[in-house]
Amino acid sequence: MNLRLQLNQGLNMAMVLASAFAFWKLLSVIAMSNSPIVVVLSGSMEPAFQRGDILFLWNREEYLNVGDIVVYKIQDKEIPIVHRIVREHKVIEAEKPTKKKFNKLKKSKKVNNEVSKRQKLLTKGDNNERDDLPLYAYGQQYLDRSKDILGSVKGYVPKVGYVTILITENVYFKYAMVGILALSALIQDE
Amino acid sequence: MFNVFQRLQNTFNYILTLIIAIGVTVSVLGYAQLYLEGYQTISGNTLVNKSINTLKYSRNFGGRPNVGKENIKLNFELDTDLTSLFNWNTKQVFVYLVGEYAGLEEGENSKVVFWDKIISDKNDAVLNLSSLKSKYSVWDYQDSLANKTMNIKLEYNIQPWVGPLIWGSVGSDYIFTAPPVKTANS
Repeated sequence: MNLRLQLNQGLNMAMVLASAFAFWKLLSVIAMSNSPIVVVLSGSMEPAFQRGDILFLWNREEYLNVGDIVVYKIQDKEIPIVHRIVREHKVIEAEKPTKKKFNKLKKSKKVNNEVSKRQKLLTKGDNNERDDLPLYAYGQQYLDRSKDILGSVKGYVPKVGYVTILITENVYFKYAMVGILALSALIQDE
Repeated sequence: MFNVFQRLQNTFNYILTLIIAIGVTVSVLGYAQLYLEGYQTISGNTLVNKSINTLKYSRNFGGRPNVGKENIKLNFELDTDLTSLFNWNTKQVFVYLVGEYAGLEEGENSKVVFWDKIISDKNDAVLNLSSLKSKYSVWDYQDSLANKTMNIKLEYNIQPWVGPLIWGSVGSDYIFTAPPVKTANS
């Protein structure tokens, strides 16, 4: 048992993890998206995207276009959805003030007349019969460009992400991976 | 020095490098070929034969039980040849017919899809279709669509086997004016 060697190995492992994390965050900053690379989990965009395909996202455009494939996340729902934009409406709406701002406005007795240009989107899976209205939150009729969209798909690599689906959905595969790791950790000590 | 971890790590790194190298080469070559064959200069024709504007009261069509929403459907013709979009790296081409129109205020505008089609075979890429019905019943974000002037055109999205997604439009603009609401006695 060599403590110095063990510590060194531990440090190396930590280094690998840290640099992977830093790389991921760098990609996030460049693409301006929380998750710049996603794995497709559902078949609703077949035959364009199958389960396990990897998508590269970009989120720096101010407005998106009809025909773009976007990843969006509905409030209170866990899993982001990858679907195509079938309608976009650029509309000018009165900005809803935040609670704090609202109180301030009430005190100063001013009317809030700030307006902003927003983009409202309707999406649909290529393989689905109809649009995504039933998938949205209760009462929600459109997605908002700045609130709901995680990014739009720019690049595509097939199948490579299937490993993550195996790990998350197949218990035996997960146990096998953990088993192999544990076994090799035992062996490498010799 | 060569324990199981390191061997696994090396193999994994090697495979990853290979995948990235192949991916980049294929994407660049595929895109270059499309570009050289002039994917942005496809011509075609669209023509709206008939259109109908009806009030719908279902939430699924933008309405509410007591407030109807204007829904537009089209009957149209299409003539274009998308064969040149297919090469060895093309998995599918998604074509869609869009209408663009201005909103009520300055700076507002909308773009909506009336019809779309997935083409996954080069032999199906010649579109010469007449009296097609729009796939979707279209309503607006704002109240009314009647008498709106729309610019109808055909756009496409090329989906590769590996690489970047590419968008373009067929030079086939058609100006169309949405009909007034159809009432029971008209």
